[in-house]
Amino acid sequence: MTPHVHDSELDSKLLSYWLDELDEAQASEVEEHLFACEGCAARLRELLDLRNAVRAALRDSRFAAVVTPAFVRRLQAAGLRLREYHLQPGGSVPCTFAPTDDFVVSHLHVPLAGVRQVDLVYDDGHSQHRAPHLPFDAAADEVTVIPPVAMLRNLGTATHRMRLFAVTPSSERLLGEYTFNHEPWSST
Amino acid sequence: MRTASHYARGVPISAAFTRDDDEAARLARRILEAAGAGDAHAEAEFCRQFAPRIRLFGLKRLRSEAAAADLVQDVLMLVLQKLRAGAVHEPERIASFVLGTARQLCIDAQRNGGRRQRLLDSFSLDLEPAATPELHAPDEARLQHCLQALPERERAVLIMTFYDDCPAETLGAQMGLSTGNVRVIRHRGLKHLRDCLVGSGGAT
Repeated sequence: MTPHVHDSELDSKLLSYWLDELDEAQASEVEEHLFACEGCAARLRELLDLRNAVRAALRDSRFAAVVTPAFVRRLQAAGLRLREYHLQPGGSVPCTFAPTDDFVVSHLHVPLAGVRQVDLVYDDGHSQHRAPHLPFDAAADEVTVIPPVAMLRNLGTATHRMRLFAVTPSSERLLGEYTFNHEPWSST
Repeated sequence: MRTASHYARGVPISAAFTRDDDEAARLARRILEAAGAGDAHAEAEFCRQFAPRIRLFGLKRLRSEAAAADLVQDVLMLVLQKLRAGAVHEPERIASFVLGTARQLCIDAQRNGGRRQRLLDSFSLDLEPAATPELHAPDEARLQHCLQALPERERAVLIMTFYDDCPAETLGAQMGLSTGNVRVIRHRGLKHLRDCLVGSGGAT
């Protein structure tokens, strides 16, 4: 079988095996199969290569990633260097990105009780990008964002804003605006 | 030749195994028949076939590249020893025999460090080249584009799943989603990402 041949059912099964989501009998069956089927073994190797590539891509990302506070703690536990900013609705913060930082993490605190859908609008002063339907845990009262690392690394003095909206089929309501006054890193 | 999709579509495993098993069994028979004289070519081919699979198994069970590489060596040495000694009675089931050996060695790993070194000292076959897997890393710029193009939820779930091998149940608890919901989002995200990487999607 050739790389990148599409078979999403197989990918899901192999990923469940890899993540220890299968029961013992199912995992044993997959293992037996992988030992006798070069096609599926190659597919799993390819999936793991993709996993490694996604990990690497996050370290030099051109995209913002919405994550959970627990994920941020796992990054910290893994020894990554994080620069974290906690903002309340309406808040602003001076911010930067040091050469030794791995990630900046923006903790956008917001009351989320009763909210069904949250959209994020990212405004860099020149253009706005809307990210609909963010993943969030209402109990956490927080949306956690890792801004694009590649963008931050080259950013000069700039003001960026993030706005969170509660969205219903018929309306939307501003939950909070968060202002980031960025300055390039200076060691002095 | 069967494809990976046989497994996904529920074809009985016993019915699906043909060519790979036949090839492995043929090599096992050649090594058995050569006995003490040895068949270096068959042994090298046997290692080439099984080393990547043992490595995957080792990575899954031991979560360590170094430990998986050790396991590859240990399993191949033991299996080849058995084949050379004529101690494998069902060469047509050699894949299961290799897997059983790998499972046992994982269990024994903590107990028998000294045994491993004695085996290494007594074995002359170079097993290292066979353990190097083929890589299929996607183009970095294309991957950035495809991740950026994913819906927010799918990107979030894929990143948090892949970054530290987080299972759906754990991720669901952290995101306020059910395990099944995370699996559905993950499945869609992986499909969209794959489609985008091969150029058939944008990524959705």
